[in-house]
Amino acid sequence: MLRSDPQARAALKAPAQVVSLRVNGEWREIAVKPRVTLVEAIRDLVGLTGTKASCESGTCGACTVLLDGRPVVSCLTLAVACDGMEVRTVEGLTDGEKLSALQEAFLEYGAVQCGFCTPGMLMSATALLERDPKPDRETINKALEGNLCRCTGYNGIVDAVLAASGQTRPRKE
Amino acid sequence: MILFDFGYERAATAEEAVARLARLGDDARLLAGGTDLLPNMRAELAMPATLVSLEGIACEPPRALADGSIRIDALTRLADLERAPLIAERLPMLAAAARAVGSHQIREMGTIGGNLCQETRCLYLNQRHDYQFAPPCFKRGGECCYPFPRNKSDVCWSVHMSDVAPALIALDASLEILGAGGTRRAGIEDLFSGSGLRPLTLGPAELLRSVTVAPRPARWGWGFHKSTVRGGLEYGMSVCAVALRLEPDGRTCAEARIALGAVRERPLRSPKAESLLAGSVLDPARLTQAATAGAAEANPLPHHGFTKRHLSDNLKIYLRRTLEQALSRAREEEGAC
Ligand SMILES: Cc1cc2nc3c(=O)[nH]c(=O)nc-3n(C[C@H](O)[C@H](O)[C@H](O)COP(=O)(O)OP(=O)(O)OC[C@H]3O[C@@H](n4cnc5c(N)ncnc54)[C@H](O)[C@@H]3O)c2cc1C
Ligand code: SF4
Ligand code: FES
Ligand code: FES
Repeated sequence: MLRSDPQARAALKAPAQVVSLRVNGEWREIAVKPRVTLVEAIRDLVGLTGTKASCESGTCGACTVLLDGRPVVSCLTLAVACDGMEVRTVEGLTDGEKLSALQEAFLEYGAVQCGFCTPGMLMSATALLERDPKPDRETINKALEGNLCRCTGYNGIVDAVLAASGQTRPRKE
Repeated sequence: MILFDFGYERAATAEEAVARLARLGDDARLLAGGTDLLPNMRAELAMPATLVSLEGIACEPPRALADGSIRIDALTRLADLERAPLIAERLPMLAAAARAVGSHQIREMGTIGGNLCQETRCLYLNQRHDYQFAPPCFKRGGECCYPFPRNKSDVCWSVHMSDVAPALIALDASLEILGAGGTRRAGIEDLFSGSGLRPLTLGPAELLRSVTVAPRPARWGWGFHKSTVRGGLEYGMSVCAVALRLEPDGRTCAEARIALGAVRERPLRSPKAESLLAGSVLDPARLTQAATAGAAEANPLPHHGFTKRHLSDNLKIYLRRTLEQALSRAREEEGAC
């Protein structure tokens, strides 16, 4: 069945379903068709555009969010499958206007250039630090292997994660 | 962004999932982690009318059975497998194989069942830009295999890229498969048909429920290697998984199991290489000879830009190195007993 077969496509109409998500601590109800991915729901229906969508095939990590604590690519997660689940996005890292230690370290170590990869990087790194508060360089590299950055060359990002875990002194006193 | 509509049903138990599949017929597909199926749906390589989601089914953590075998629920996420203390301690090869898959996000989502049941891949089939030349090939019911235009319509050289399957084959795992008529057991090698057009032997209303690995014998060692260009978030160039068991003299091979992945339409055994090892004293020359035979009998398909020559050379080297790893582990283990 190909996209050029409109009859077959018309037969596939599926009704929307109501899904409850706890996004950054706040319960939200949204109506989604099964084909809507979690990143589309977060950006277009919940209205939080910090989470980025780029490859939409699981290879870049820009859309990484924490789903019940697990780092997942929200472009390959169906929103209907997340009913009753807790979603944390980059917006959930700050405390009001105050950035988290990891975010501060990203700023300090030049881990952000264009910034497109940053929300995904932050979420992957947050998941890592929650599991392993003192990761070494190699562990950080492995944990960030699913997040591509076309700007920084990665070293600044790894330095920032090391600094946020208190393993190197802050660069500026 | 998936552009077509489909229905979504949640099954509460494995039996219910199978019953739903049987009722919905060919147009339904099981959805586990979705990391293989959803990209294929996005590229419209699969257009199921309904997804039967397995996410609501309780997943048992890996556990040891009374006879010492280890049972792994097919819904176990690869990251949980990698972290499970029982697996790290008793089946480190499987932990290494799970850790080799994709990225940590993919491993947090993808399941071991979905990994074994993933679609085969080919650069032509899996291209995803609308501006590229992409009329359907044989695998999509088309008229030609564009990368290999001399192939007949019953031949598709797409490659099974699972990293976990070769490890499970080297471990001689068995599968529990649930169908409308009840449960059947099968060896893991019987899961794969060897055809790129339809790589699995599962029936339309069958579900892979668990994978079981028998206890490891004494003087046994393993080796595993996935070759990649970048070393992360990549499908394999080739995967070698080997298991060796030594005779009490610590030098002669009692049994060898070699499994190669990402080189053909199915994960392969290497019977010639295995028979060169079994019963012989494992000196470096013997390992090299077996690795050379294994690379030759694998007859790798060119895939993802790697030529057959390149992959044959790669197998020769990494098969030898994984055999060396397995041998030294088997010897260490003997020292430990
Ligand atoms: C960016 C990226 C990188 C990847 N890299 C790798 C890699 O390096 N190595 C690798 O091996 N794979 C890789 N994969 C493929 C895939 O993510 C993994 O194989 C994963 O384990 C698939 O599991 P899943 O649960 O997500 O499968 P799903 O996508 O849910 O399912 C895959 C197929 O199996 C069927 N299925 C699922 N569960 C069952 C069951 N219990 N019984 C019967 N049928 C079932 C589904 O119907 C579907 O057809 C990658 C994927 C992506 C997106
Ligand atoms: S090898 Fe198979 S999947 Fe690839 S183009 Fe040919 S028929 Fe299609
Ligand atoms: S947009 Fe999800 S991984 Fe790239
Ligand atoms: S900062 Fe530009 S992609 Fe990472």
